[in-house]
Amino acid sequence: MSLDLDSVDRAIEEMLKAGRETVAVSLLHAYANPEHERDIREQFAKRAPHLLVSISSEVSPKFREYERTSTTVTNAYVKPIVDRYLRHLDEALAARGIRTKLFVMQSNGGLISPDLARDFPVRIIESGPAAGILMSAIVGKEEGRDQIITFDMGGTTAKLGAIDDGAPAIMPTFEVDLVRYKKGSGLPINVPAIEMIEIGAGGGSIARDNKGMIVVGPDSAGADPGPICYRLGGDAPTITDANVVLGYISPDWFNGGAMRLDKQAAERGIKRAIADPLGISTEQAAWGIHLVATSNMENALRIVSVERGRDPRHYTMVAFGGAGPLHAARMARSVGIPVVIVPYGAGVGSAMGLLQAEPRIDVTATRVLRLDAERSGREIGGVYRELEMQASQDARRMSPGREPQWSRYAQMRYAGQGFEIHVDLPAGPIDDDYGQRAIDAFKQAYLRRHKFLDLEGSVEAVDWTLVATIRSNGRAVALGGRRDAAEPRRGKRLAWFPEVGGYTETAIVDRAALADGNRIAGPAIIEDPDCTAVVLPGDVACMSGKGHIVIEINSEASP
Amino acid sequence: MKARSVDPITLTVIWNCLISIADELGVTLRHTAFSEGVREGDDFSTAIFDRNAVMIAQGNFSPGHLGSMPAVAKTVMQYFPADTLKPGDSVLVNDSFIGAGHFPDTYEIMPVFIEGRVIGFVACSAHQVDMGGAAPGSQKVHGVTEAFQEGLRILPVRFVREGKIDEDILRIVLGNVRMPDKVRGDLLAQHTANLTASVRLAKMFNAYGVDVVERAYEAILDRSEANMRAALAEVPAGTYSFEDHLDDYGPGTPPIKMAVDITFDGKGEVEFDFSRSSDTVPAALNSYINYTRAYAVFAIKAFCNALEPQTEGTMRPIKLKVREGCFFNPKFPAPSGGRPILQIRIFDTINGALAKALPHRAMGAFSHWSNPNIGGIDDRTGRPFVMYDVSLAGYGGRYGKDGLEGMTPVMNCSNIPIEVHETFNPVRIHHFGFIPDTGGAGRWRGGCGIRKDIELLNSTATLSHLGDRHVFQPYGIFGGKPGALAESVLNPQGNGERLHSKETRQIKRGDVISFRLSGAGGYGKPAERVSEAISRDVAEGYVTREAAQRDYGWSLLADK
Repeated sequence: MSLDLDSVDRAIEEMLKAGRETVAVSLLHAYANPEHERDIREQFAKRAPHLLVSISSEVSPKFREYERTSTTVTNAYVKPIVDRYLRHLDEALAARGIRTKLFVMQSNGGLISPDLARDFPVRIIESGPAAGILMSAIVGKEEGRDQIITFDMGGTTAKLGAIDDGAPAIMPTFEVDLVRYKKGSGLPINVPAIEMIEIGAGGGSIARDNKGMIVVGPDSAGADPGPICYRLGGDAPTITDANVVLGYISPDWFNGGAMRLDKQAAERGIKRAIADPLGISTEQAAWGIHLVATSNMENALRIVSVERGRDPRHYTMVAFGGAGPLHAARMARSVGIPVVIVPYGAGVGSAMGLLQAEPRIDVTATRVLRLDAERSGREIGGVYRELEMQASQDARRMSPGREPQWSRYAQMRYAGQGFEIHVDLPAGPIDDDYGQRAIDAFKQAYLRRHKFLDLEGSVEAVDWTLVATIRSNGRAVALGGRRDAAEPRRGKRLAWFPEVGGYTETAIVDRAALADGNRIAGPAIIEDPDCTAVVLPGDVACMSGKGHIVIEINSEASP
Repeated sequence: MKARSVDPITLTVIWNCLISIADELGVTLRHTAFSEGVREGDDFSTAIFDRNAVMIAQGNFSPGHLGSMPAVAKTVMQYFPADTLKPGDSVLVNDSFIGAGHFPDTYEIMPVFIEGRVIGFVACSAHQVDMGGAAPGSQKVHGVTEAFQEGLRILPVRFVREGKIDEDILRIVLGNVRMPDKVRGDLLAQHTANLTASVRLAKMFNAYGVDVVERAYEAILDRSEANMRAALAEVPAGTYSFEDHLDDYGPGTPPIKMAVDITFDGKGEVEFDFSRSSDTVPAALNSYINYTRAYAVFAIKAFCNALEPQTEGTMRPIKLKVREGCFFNPKFPAPSGGRPILQIRIFDTINGALAKALPHRAMGAFSHWSNPNIGGIDDRTGRPFVMYDVSLAGYGGRYGKDGLEGMTPVMNCSNIPIEVHETFNPVRIHHFGFIPDTGGAGRWRGGCGIRKDIELLNSTATLSHLGDRHVFQPYGIFGGKPGALAESVLNPQGNGERLHSKETRQIKRGDVISFRLSGAGGYGKPAERVSEAISRDVAEGYVTREAAQRDYGWSLLADK
């Protein structure tokens, strides 16, 4: 069948007339034969070279038109923004004389080069959370804990993820914009990503009175104009304003003292927007904001733990992001998580994760092969030679002069099934008996997963992937550490703990002043320039040998 | 802590763990299945039972199978009391009376053991692509007058013995079906899925102890029953009735009356009476009582208590009174292969009645759905093929929302991708899209019908059509207009012969069958529709300018 170029031209005409800047092309069966999609892209290059074109056979060369198209459309949707952003960033870094190579984190926890990210921005949608989860996995390892719930709360959103048996939970596909976190309610994206739940609750989330009830978020004042206490023009009370009023955040030492917060302005704002309409005191209103925000996040925490079969009593929470360690203890207490860890560098947790990640290229080809013990070795060898050419090119672009480490995996199934399982293929040369070794690897993986083998079934592989990882020599330092402070700050201030009657004289501890094994009983507030951890009455915080704060949660205390 | 109670966190974790096991059972089934209906269309269900075959949890899959589960498990236990079962055993059944009302739905039920004692059962059902009988897909309606013409009937048999598939039983099954590879693949997939779930269930029992889990089961059943009773008690007491008609049961046959009287007692119970409906029909369309019950339970759940996980407890306050010999309670061997198209219609009939009690939760009638099978011998391979399709059209208008298009209504199935159909069957799909102006006008418009044109690329094949709403339009409510009628057209580019919605006929290479599904009913008077919504419909192609003028008095000028 030949391509109807006239219809392509008409479509291009329409796009030009409508002033579009990006386009997604998805043709039936393009995963098997990409020629027509490539022809269409060429036609765009001729007729409308300024349009950014995403074609499904490159973005997501997989069977099933709806998921492939949805992934391609998403890629096209974010492409102009990512394209501009990364180009400017690259130029700006160069202009400042920074010559280190720039990498971009993907949703699966591996790094890619900026030009690949610009071509396939759909791969980096969950990059920030992926980095945070990597960091949490490392912290868990250092503390000898392998069942972890990650809780990251920043200025606009809170994100929860999980690490089971030491490995970050990664899904081969995911959905964006879920309704009530229900599978099938969002847009499917055919890209591997870490498992994560995101809700609109962050330091900048705005609180309001809604017919006598306090509602927090999901809209956010962000960093600009930001909370009222920033004095940058924000006039709607936020979670941060409430936390300042409650005494959790120090007005004088925010961001290590780089910024002074206006507590009185925050109080006036909360009084006006919440306390007066509801007929309660300003402190009660601030507490209400804090509590509503915490309970919104608790719901998400329940989904990621109990609803997905993870018993919170066997999990540790790693809390990070500027606001995470401030809300973590109360959330952990409410669902029964016994330990919260506030890692070193918690305020910039995702960034710490980024430093640990390695450049990684995954190249995949869809080639349906029914495996034969004798004959398949050569065919598989052919597929991987092509993939290696492609990946070496990308790898050279990313890290010139560095030899990547190679690994292979395939998506395989019994011939006749519609879904595949992930099978790690053996390393080493691909010789004549590689077909048999691939079949054996499939059977092992299938049996492990499904506890059943069909001895008569024939095995086929659909997608073949080659992974190039570039090991970072000596860059993988331990995360734990210590900030040296010549004169650690110590002191007391009033902070709100309803379980002990409201405002209570509370110990303020500079994290830098803590030595290994120091124990601090709550109520207490541990301050770092980039984040604040609240220790509740009844709980005890301890500085671990690795430099992380480990808070034991007293689950018998009132929530 | 009271001796018999379970602490709230343990209860929550166990309950959610059960649901997650039931869901994972389904995901495993989907991922290991061979037929398009199961692996793409999600035409299956899963459940977990206690040791007395009382249902504790279900996966979110096809309600027709789901609502039948409790009855199936209890019948299987009559054939195989727990002390006759051994670890690794599994029971297979597809009987239409015992099961979900037609032969293609096979159930596999597996006991789970801890220290040699049965602690519960895991089960799944799957719609097999073929079970033999008069036409490919085993869903032929017209000309089938008794169940024995519909293919292989399996009363409960021990299909797996101590971990080993009984090859003799398998050979009997595979010798009687058109697609032995797919049926074998799906039967093994059901077994694989049960195994996965049984391992997890045993692990959960070991983690918490049999005693704690069984106390949690009691709490789950009691709570879900209490919650359902509380929800039912909120519906104003009274009897609510509605009637609608199925077009017929084949060329040249009369309509079938579907009537329901629903009585809420105001104290937490509800009774369904379908007795005023037509008698059992001499064609494969009858709704066995398990199936009728399944959709009554589903409708009540959707209207009154949608988010509650379904257990046998939630089903206890829902009673059925159906005259034996009626269309909704036939006696074996009444034929029933084509009953899938009833699922929406049973719901629609109940919806029409409940609209009077709960107007803000009701909707205009769904479009119907089309479930044709095209089968024969593939010229390229010399092997049989059956293209089983699931065509899904529109939702009715709802209070506050227009009807959606292309979504599965009551049965949680998914669209089967074009790429899947074309790769595995000798067909090409030329057209797949909405049909403008077919959704019933209303304050909230009904969803549009869907058109799918399928060309046969094989020398010959048998088309066994399964549709409806070619005669009676999907109704609108509260002043909403009905959706447009469906049409099935053979060779629209040629003489465009109209096909009957339940006919079976031979087709040949190059024939194109154009399935044009009905539109769904509207909600509320068209005059109350806001003009921005009409303009958006016109701009996006759901409604043409002409129809907007005719149905809504809309004009471009008025909009400006």
